[in-house]
Amino acid sequence: MKRTSLLLGTALCALAAQAQAQQTQAQEACKGAVPTLNVIGQGMPAVTALDAHLSEFNEKWDTEVKITLLGENERRAKARLDASTGAGSYQVLYIDEANLAEYVSADWIYPLADVVPESYDIADFRTDLSNVATVDGTQYFAPFVGGGDVMMVRTDLLEAAGLDVPSTLDELVEAVKVLDAADNGAHGWAARGQRGSGMNVWRWTPFFRAMGGEWLDGDMPAFNSEAGVEATELYTDLMSYGPPGVGTFNWSDAVEAFRGGQVAILIESDVFGPWMEDPSKSTVVGKVGYAPPPDPLPSAGWAHGWAVSKAGAADDCAKTIAGDFVGWATSKEMEQQRLEAGIASDIGRTSTLESEAYQSLVPAEYVEAMLATGPKTDLLIMKSPAWPEIGDTLGLALEEVFTGTRDDIAATLDEAAFFAEDSLMRLK
Amino acid sequence: MKRKTFVTLSLVPAIGILASLALVSVAGAVWFALMNRTLRSSDYEFVGAYNFLRLLRDKRFFNALEISAIWEVVTVTGTLVLAVLLAVLIYETVKKPLWRNLICFAFLVPVLLPRVAAAFIWRFLYSPSLGLINYLCGLVGIGPVEFLADPSLALISVAIVDIWQWGLFFTVILLKLMETLPRDPIEAAMLDNARTWEIHAYVTLPMLKAPIISLALVKAVESLRSFDLIFVMTGGGPGTATETLDLYAYQMGINMGGRISYASAMSILLLIVTTVVFTIIWKAGKKWAA
Repeated sequence: MKRTSLLLGTALCALAAQAQAQQTQAQEACKGAVPTLNVIGQGMPAVTALDAHLSEFNEKWDTEVKITLLGENERRAKARLDASTGAGSYQVLYIDEANLAEYVSADWIYPLADVVPESYDIADFRTDLSNVATVDGTQYFAPFVGGGDVMMVRTDLLEAAGLDVPSTLDELVEAVKVLDAADNGAHGWAARGQRGSGMNVWRWTPFFRAMGGEWLDGDMPAFNSEAGVEATELYTDLMSYGPPGVGTFNWSDAVEAFRGGQVAILIESDVFGPWMEDPSKSTVVGKVGYAPPPDPLPSAGWAHGWAVSKAGAADDCAKTIAGDFVGWATSKEMEQQRLEAGIASDIGRTSTLESEAYQSLVPAEYVEAMLATGPKTDLLIMKSPAWPEIGDTLGLALEEVFTGTRDDIAATLDEAAFFAEDSLMRLK
Repeated sequence: MKRKTFVTLSLVPAIGILASLALVSVAGAVWFALMNRTLRSSDYEFVGAYNFLRLLRDKRFFNALEISAIWEVVTVTGTLVLAVLLAVLIYETVKKPLWRNLICFAFLVPVLLPRVAAAFIWRFLYSPSLGLINYLCGLVGIGPVEFLADPSLALISVAIVDIWQWGLFFTVILLKLMETLPRDPIEAAMLDNARTWEIHAYVTLPMLKAPIISLALVKAVESLRSFDLIFVMTGGGPGTATETLDLYAYQMGINMGGRISYASAMSILLLIVTTVVFTIIWKAGKKWAA
């Protein structure tokens, strides 16, 4: 037994040493070979926090990392254009759940294990996020942020109105109405209204799923079903208890309205929980309660992360350096450094969630809510390469309803479904 | 070397570069428009006029065409009306050159702002809950007004930003042009006891007819390039209330389905329509100015 253990240990040490040697060899061969590493990103805290550490990476590879920051819709459009035309201006792409299927089916990105060195411990990424980053058993991006939904409530306003935290959808609707009518300076509700597969459609989808909605009936789009109409009616009704202009709110507008004290109840991605506890930006610190979305609302699972572009990193050195950047930017050490800087919103690794540093930064109730939401979390959007197009068309239709441009919900959804049929046919 | 040969030889390289740049991009757009190329796949085939015929059945395309036409009329007219009124007002009320120059300097600031920056500033000003404009509206008991979220107000609200940027700039140009006008006809009108508005309506502005037509054409071309302003302020929404043709082409070609052939067909149609319309306007303008 001892001898077997000894042999196994020796073999593992040899493998580790070999991997280390290979990495050192690659570093020596590629150092200075890629003068600029272009990265397309979105201004999430995990991305902007990299600025403080880039010199370390630049020095390691004798390169200059240039991160282009764009808004969500623009980032999606530009990354897709860069990959699809073969322009390859960016070696590292910011990928999310909405466009992963398209990127994988079009063969625009490398599998993660092919580019990120083993030393970065891919297995440590949170399982819920890795699942979103995986297609047919292969993980394609290194997640650094993601999760599900959480309901954020103003506990002070609820208490003043004599209400409990809603645990069912009916209770939520009732609480929104009561809190909106109360003389408390806040609107009852806020949600995303702006068009986009990752905007209003993302937030509407849990309502659609809660009504029993399915995206497809066989090969045909089915979101114009009774469930789709009911979900849209309820969502539109709830928006009437929101701040002025909510019909075109993006997630930032909704979150800012809540932490500006203008909104009583908000269901948003759980990553925004710690945003409410930032005293420099939030007026509601200590007044927010966290809970899972009320039944039967499911929680919309999502993940954002870095992937290496095949067009952008076609040669070996570009691939090596881009892969190392992805590993480095999402490493355990980087997450700990973010925690030290007070950033607790973007967590991609299990080891970080379990760390004392993380648990000391967020309210215990928030962690409890996250854990309770876990079983309800799933990827709720249509898993199809045509999703960005279908989602955006549906988003446009929903925005028209939310802003009062159209009032015939069934006809509006029928039109969006008709367009989706075309998109699905083109896939064939 | 003869003067004519020298002029021709000097112009040929610049015109050659400009022509080839324009021709290559137009030819590329025509080629794309005849295919069924999408960003998702590298496979494509020749589809002839399919994309153009599909456009004729596309309600959203006609909506975008209508919005583009309204945008052109509102921004060009609004800019010129504002510029003429302000130029006359300053010409009549501010006599000291120092004050005039300070006002001109202040009026140049908006057009020097990048469009995206101007769009963000105004988006914030228009905000129903945090914006200054809604605060002022609230003081007089109006609102909150959903300037950018109300389909009936969104287009005009964005147009106001465009008019603010260009109207003030054109005011400076018109004011400087008015200062260069000969005094004799104006003094003759004053001797005939003409009122101030009559002097400007019948003497100064008719003398500025040709430059005003040129300014109108410049603004009309500029208004066609308002993609960034509209994109940042409304993204074409709410719904399709502010979706102009270039915005729709972008949504179709890049942001939404990646249907670049369809978007190219739209661009070609836009090119044809604007060339025809601008040629007609240019000829009519020349006739009117003569």
